[in-house]
Amino acid sequence: MISLPGLNLGEQPAEPLNVPTSSATRHQDLAAQTEYRFEVNFQRQLTIKLVNGTAEYFGTELAPATTYTFQGAKGAIFTWHGCKIEIGGEAESEYVAEETQMMPAMNAHFAFEAQRDRAVQTRDAGPRVLVVGPENAGKTSLVKILTSYAVKSGRQPMVINLDPKQGMLSVPGSFTAAAFSSIIDIEEGWGSSPMSGPSPVPVKMPLVYHYGLKDPEEGRVFRPLVTRMALAVTSRLEEDPASKQAGFIIDSPGSMSQGKAGVYENIEHIISEFSVNVVFVIGSERLYSDLSRKYAHRPNEDPTHIIRLDKSGGCVDRSEEYMKALRHAQIRAYFFGHGDAALAPHSQSATFDELNIFKIAEETGRDFSGGHHIDNPYGNASDAEIYERITPSNMVVNKLLAVTTAAATEGHGAIRDASVRGYMYVADADEAKKRVKLLSPQPGQVPASAIVMGSWPEDVPSLVG
Amino acid sequence: MSSISDEVAADFKDALQDLKVNSRPEISNLTLIAKENTEHAQAISLVLENHIRTARPEWRLPSLYVLDSIVKNIGTPYTVYLGRGLYKTFMEAYSKVDQPTRKAMEGLLRTWKQPVPESMDNRPVFPPEMTGDIENALNKMRSVQAQMQSQRPVHALPARPAVSAAWRNTPTPPQNGAPFGAPVDPRARQFSGSQLGQYPQQVPTPVQYGQAQQHSQPMDSLDLNELKEEVGRLISSTQQAFAYNLADAGLQQKLNALLALKKVLDTQTLPPQQLEAIRNQIRALAPPLAPTPVSMSAFPPPTPQQPPTPTFQPPASAPPLNLAQMLANFRPGAPSAVPPSPAPAPAPVSATPNLAEMLSRLSTPPQQSNPAVAPFNPPLFSLPAAISTPVPATPVPAPAPAAPPAASAPTNLAQLLASFNQPPAAAPVAPTPPFNPALPPQVQGLSRLLSQPAGATAAPPNPVNPAWLLNALSGLPNTGTPSNATPLSSEPMTRQSSAPTSLLNDIELTTASMKQPRPHLIFRLYDAKPNICTTCGRRFDATPQGKEKKARHMDWHFKMKDPDAAKRGVHRSWYFTEKEWIEYREVDETAPEDSANGPSGAAGRVKKQAKDRYVPVPQDVTLAHAPCPICQENFEPQWSKEANDFVWMDAIKVGGKIYHATCWEEYSKGAGIATPSTPDSVLGKRTAETGTPASGKKLRAY
Repeated sequence: MISLPGLNLGEQPAEPLNVPTSSATRHQDLAAQTEYRFEVNFQRQLTIKLVNGTAEYFGTELAPATTYTFQGAKGAIFTWHGCKIEIGGEAESEYVAEETQMMPAMNAHFAFEAQRDRAVQTRDAGPRVLVVGPENAGKTSLVKILTSYAVKSGRQPMVINLDPKQGMLSVPGSFTAAAFSSIIDIEEGWGSSPMSGPSPVPVKMPLVYHYGLKDPEEGRVFRPLVTRMALAVTSRLEEDPASKQAGFIIDSPGSMSQGKAGVYENIEHIISEFSVNVVFVIGSERLYSDLSRKYAHRPNEDPTHIIRLDKSGGCVDRSEEYMKALRHAQIRAYFFGHGDAALAPHSQSATFDELNIFKIAEETGRDFSGGHHIDNPYGNASDAEIYERITPSNMVVNKLLAVTTAAATEGHGAIRDASVRGYMYVADADEAKKRVKLLSPQPGQVPASAIVMGSWPEDVPSLVG
Repeated sequence: MSSISDEVAADFKDALQDLKVNSRPEISNLTLIAKENTEHAQAISLVLENHIRTARPEWRLPSLYVLDSIVKNIGTPYTVYLGRGLYKTFMEAYSKVDQPTRKAMEGLLRTWKQPVPESMDNRPVFPPEMTGDIENALNKMRSVQAQMQSQRPVHALPARPAVSAAWRNTPTPPQNGAPFGAPVDPRARQFSGSQLGQYPQQVPTPVQYGQAQQHSQPMDSLDLNELKEEVGRLISSTQQAFAYNLADAGLQQKLNALLALKKVLDTQTLPPQQLEAIRNQIRALAPPLAPTPVSMSAFPPPTPQQPPTPTFQPPASAPPLNLAQMLANFRPGAPSAVPPSPAPAPAPVSATPNLAEMLSRLSTPPQQSNPAVAPFNPPLFSLPAAISTPVPATPVPAPAPAAPPAASAPTNLAQLLASFNQPPAAAPVAPTPPFNPALPPQVQGLSRLLSQPAGATAAPPNPVNPAWLLNALSGLPNTGTPSNATPLSSEPMTRQSSAPTSLLNDIELTTASMKQPRPHLIFRLYDAKPNICTTCGRRFDATPQGKEKKARHMDWHFKMKDPDAAKRGVHRSWYFTEKEWIEYREVDETAPEDSANGPSGAAGRVKKQAKDRYVPVPQDVTLAHAPCPICQENFEPQWSKEANDFVWMDAIKVGGKIYHATCWEEYSKGAGIATPSTPDSVLGKRTAETGTPASGKKLRAY
């Protein structure tokens, strides 16, 4: 690990548990269409190597004779043809399951392939997919499988993450969109956003917006951001035929699927903004029934298909503790890299005056009636109240700051709609000297643009020092 | 060549000279020597080649086996060295040896076109260019030989599926030993013995196609296995064909029929006559499938015994007729006598002896029937008159209510299977069980699947005629098997459309449709793109384009494997802004460089201008701090994507000193010194530019 001047970067004492407890490996035979499910915590490592046959991890095929290392992961190695894998290290839990939900995923993929083929001929848009369902239903897994299969079929699908609970190619609390033209990293979630050096798996170029809150239901930023994201994605698709024909897949937050008395404003908002034509509902009968009722009889040329999929038996409830560790790992990976690809973030110091920090205003006892008053996202009425400009203090320590592209002088609406250049982490604040220590992804001036700070993700106390 | 190399080569040569018969231990030993001395691979390869070319003809085959063993068990660098002279080595030996040895050599050649069995590497042993040359030469030889015998072009020879048929039709029994030589050949097991090994008794009565007389010869269990293998081969070749031509509903139907047939064979004990009929059908099907990519048959030129294709396929009416006759013969007196059925409640059924029942009695142990298809219902058992059994066909009245499902029955293979499988007990019971609900989900899926393409083709006349299955197999357009000439998209921006859509259209976007198993699709995710990158698992087409892509992909991996990257302090880049992102186009590392983002691609090809020259930032401290000797200005390091390293732009290294390229140019112009060229990359030559897969292998080995 690279030492950082000015920061006591211990990177935690070398964790003794971090190495596989024994070098002994074991073999596991998997019959066709079964999967090996495993959970491994953040303190241990599990290595998996394909000995023979074929296997895939959320749709991405395992390369033969390559050892993959998993840490802090709950996943499954699935095989269509049967395979033998070599497992090293200890898993918290592991078993072989015969009932999987891969066949529906594959059917869905090939249904989309048909749409994509048509799109290629007509120069129209490919499938526009939204995946909804409660927490831990396997939404992200399905999105990943569909993306992997599409990439495998030579497509370039766009993936859009609207779930602040876990990031895609960025930190949690962000909304991202990226076109996938290369395989999804097996070990590192979705892969990596660009860095200054080489990457063993092709990097993905995300467009990032900062949401900064935990749930889509809180605050007034969600829907305007969805609108903004849809605008950017649509613009890109118009100019990028390869992506347009491949379509996109949207991952959504679980809490959105709760709805209010059978009304799912956020889901409907996404469907209309992105012109979604396929909605997968995972594991929620009620949501399926409500949505299909709503979208069943629309005399539309391009109908919205609502499809219910069963929740995979492999979906495990991820504890809040685990999710927190996962988020920390994502934030850490943003600055420090993942696995062998270590990154060297830059630590710098800035005066309070140099930073233009805008804190997302919390809902304070205000009657938030489903957000009707913000249906016009560019209306100026509520703009002034989105953020609260703050002076750095001890309050900002351990927070993640989103460096936007908007100038500090711009209106709140513009700041909200601005995409994010990157994130900085506040390592320390000295109120007496009015200075903060920042961790920045790369060297350079302290950005003068508007910096947004939200309540989400939660503080990351142990990132440095 | 070093003296050690000479020594090793001499030892190897001595050992080779002792190899006079096909001896497994000796071959293994020689392979081991070669393996332990890969650093002297060139010398060893040379010795081996010379030996094969010069040894007495009868000793050449064993040494060819040594070559074979080495390339398969060791691979690079031997494949490279031996590959270079492979054509010469092979053809010289081939021209000298006798017919049996030639056969064996053809067998070897065939295996070289395939990946090493049980290996993770999907690439053939030798690149297709090398084996292709040899094949062309062999073809020429053969066509000359065969001119008198047949007008059929050699490339239309039956491929492997037809192997057994070809042998069986040969009047002269096959020459001693399998084409791979004596069973002691270390790799004989690779060929699974199925091609020849399991034909010990060389068919006293050769099978003749399109004739029904083979009934007299019962099939024993050995033949059953062999039949299963034939079916298996046919399935795999059909699958392959299907992968390349998904639009062909006929192929799909055939594939499904074959799979169903296989299931029947696996789960049922069928009477010999049926097996015979099936086998004939399978045989008739096999040859036209030949023109798959590996179409080169290693077999001797077509003999007159092998009639041209049309005669292979009896007119569509023939098989049902045969089968029906056969069935009738088998149960003499069935129409009139109405023998007591073994079933407990025979009353309604035995009155109208139907085919299902008949079949069920034919199947020796009825309890073996596949339970999955067992709960089938009466519509099956109604036996229309079309079948040429002398049975008076009075339809069973009971099934009438179940009319709607019965409508789809004719095309429903599952039912057909059921008629094969029907256990006697099940027949009489179940007067009117509901049709579809009774089906287990898989069967439902299967039947639905089958009914789709079948609807397009002519429905068989008789719903219960099991001969339809065979009919379906034989009646299909066999010529529809394309080679692997998958059409590539001509438009660079549109990614290659993965398949014709017609077949995929049937996957409706509904909850129910998502749950249907469609196992045939798996193929498209995997085997349709057989060329896998062993580093990351990405798959490529088995086409020249796919190969090029893979070569570029491997280059990319190579470039990314920079051991120094970590030391340089890599950091996360800022994200794109909206505008940049909207205008950005994903870079496909498999695409030719020209199509990359921005102007760097096409412009980069033209001769480099002085200011585009760069040198990597020197590691040497004094050099790293030295200014340009001409203008005395310092260099500024910057990251170069092209070099994948920090570089000094506008720089040139001349005689141990680094100058600004522009400064040097001005200076050298005056002085008349030639400007040395910038290295293309600090990491060496790029394989995609040199092009040959062989050198790609070498790189990978690094």
